[in-house]
Amino acid sequence: MTDWRAIVARLLGGIASVFLLAMMSLTVTDVVLRAVASRPIHGAFELVELLLACTIFTALPAVFLRDENVVVDVGDHVWPRWVPALKAIAAVASLAVLALMCWSMYPRAKDILAFGDVTSDLSLPRIYYWVPVLAGVVGAALAAAVMILRRRPPR
Amino acid sequence: MSAQLLGLLGVLALLALVLARVPVAIALAAVGVTGYAAIDGWRRALVMFGTVPFELASAYSLSVVPLFILMGAVASKANMSRELFTAANAVFSGFRGALASATIGACAAFSSICGSSMATAATMSRVAVPEMQRHGYNLGIATGAVASGGTLGILIPPSVILVIYAIVAEQSIVDLFAAALFPGLLLAALHVVVIVVIAWLRPDWMPRAPRMRLLERLRASLGMWKLAVLFFLAVFGIYLGWFSPTEAAAVGAAAAILIGFATGAMRWPEFRDALLETVLTSAMLFFVIIGAFIFSRFIVLTQLPAEIVAWVESMQLPGLAILASLVVLYLILGCFLESVSMILITVPVVLPLVMSLGFDGIWFGIFVTVLAEAGLITPPVGLNAFVIRSQLPQVPIGTIFRGAANFLVADAALLALLVAFPGIALWLPAWLKG
Repeated sequence: MTDWRAIVARLLGGIASVFLLAMMSLTVTDVVLRAVASRPIHGAFELVELLLACTIFTALPAVFLRDENVVVDVGDHVWPRWVPALKAIAAVASLAVLALMCWSMYPRAKDILAFGDVTSDLSLPRIYYWVPVLAGVVGAALAAAVMILRRRPPR
Repeated sequence: MSAQLLGLLGVLALLALVLARVPVAIALAAVGVTGYAAIDGWRRALVMFGTVPFELASAYSLSVVPLFILMGAVASKANMSRELFTAANAVFSGFRGALASATIGACAAFSSICGSSMATAATMSRVAVPEMQRHGYNLGIATGAVASGGTLGILIPPSVILVIYAIVAEQSIVDLFAAALFPGLLLAALHVVVIVVIAWLRPDWMPRAPRMRLLERLRASLGMWKLAVLFFLAVFGIYLGWFSPTEAAAVGAAAAILIGFATGAMRWPEFRDALLETVLTSAMLFFVIIGAFIFSRFIVLTQLPAEIVAWVESMQLPGLAILASLVVLYLILGCFLESVSMILITVPVVLPLVMSLGFDGIWFGIFVTVLAEAGLITPPVGLNAFVIRSQLPQVPIGTIFRGAANFLVADAALLALLVAFPGIALWLPAWLKG
């Protein structure tokens, strides 16, 4: 599939890969500096956490766009006629759950922004950690919606 | 309706949704939030629902997952499996069943680094099965050895499944990695025993291959160095206290990338594939973990685990009988759930019961991982068998399952040994702590 969905999925995967490599390099540098110069990177822990959230949640919409969620398909041989209907129901359920998740995360994020919490080492605003997560779940919901539209049965 | 009953209905609803093809993560989240709301009201349920994804997204202990997956993906793309098989073959060369034993050894070593038993089964079936066929091996034994050998890696550290168990069961990753080493090696040895016994009973299934010369064997064994380096960094680095698990995973991934590029075994396109595969797999896994945490918040609220503990205690059953029924439960679940989902779904319910019986949480992690492993090679959904079939479409699926079934004896023997001698698992973590 070389349509725009595949391109978006690849692009998101590429960005997530950059975050992942950054997380790896940061951790390795931290280890090396600690061993060689006994001077670990200040706040490496917090940056790894931030990069982890960015890696995972940038890639999450791509998982939906590529339809790669963990699904149990043992029943497919038993009731093959129902599979298209079940797939459609599953897609709607995914959209509903993701939409509800966005809706319940948003007020939490607003609270965090209002409190203005910061992390202990680097004084990073806590909201930085929420932005990728919220964006990722919103993106996944959009991706799930796109997948439902695509599912219209061929004439 | 009592909360416990709601909990039970929740578990049933979850299984129904999962069987109806709803993605596992979505089913867990949906049942979790609905059940939570039914007990504690929607306001609190939504607060929980909105907070859990965020708490997990930036949990430092989880950063080990994508980094270990990256190390494995790079090792796969850099073709480290073929050299390993050649090396293992050199080690075992000469006795009947050598090729099958080498397959087990190579699968164990490769899957421990690669972390995915399916990826191991896929690459090893292309490498090892044609070689065994060329020497006239029985096809069931050849494919069964790959299917079962591939599962060894989810026990031998570093293991993503153990990390996930550690997180959901609130146990130490370092202790689990230490506890898994001897059972993992023992299981590999038991697999070789199975092969030796079969070779003795049915010599025609495994014709003897010509013995390699000593010099040749030594040279071929050197092919193991790449994976040996990775294993040393990622596993002994943790045991020796050089690295935290996340650091070990990052160093291991970086080393795999360096080795891959430096030896020319991996180029840019393969590296890009490995990265893409890693981020997608990690995101998929994280989403299931998030769902599982939402579900387990609900289960904790229902007090179902405590109720089960009380109920089981009232029956005055011996611990062994309860453990045996858990084995049956896991074997049934293993028929339709893959191992990560199975552990995430069951551990919140089962672990309190197991611990009330006086078993150790670390020990149970090893026990349940062996069970999950068996699920990968039992019909109807033994994923490894299907992976091998997709690589070798001419082999009937029944042949693979029958071949793999021989090795279930090894799994059963290990479970029995773990029950009889828990020290197999618990000695090393205790010793490392001094």
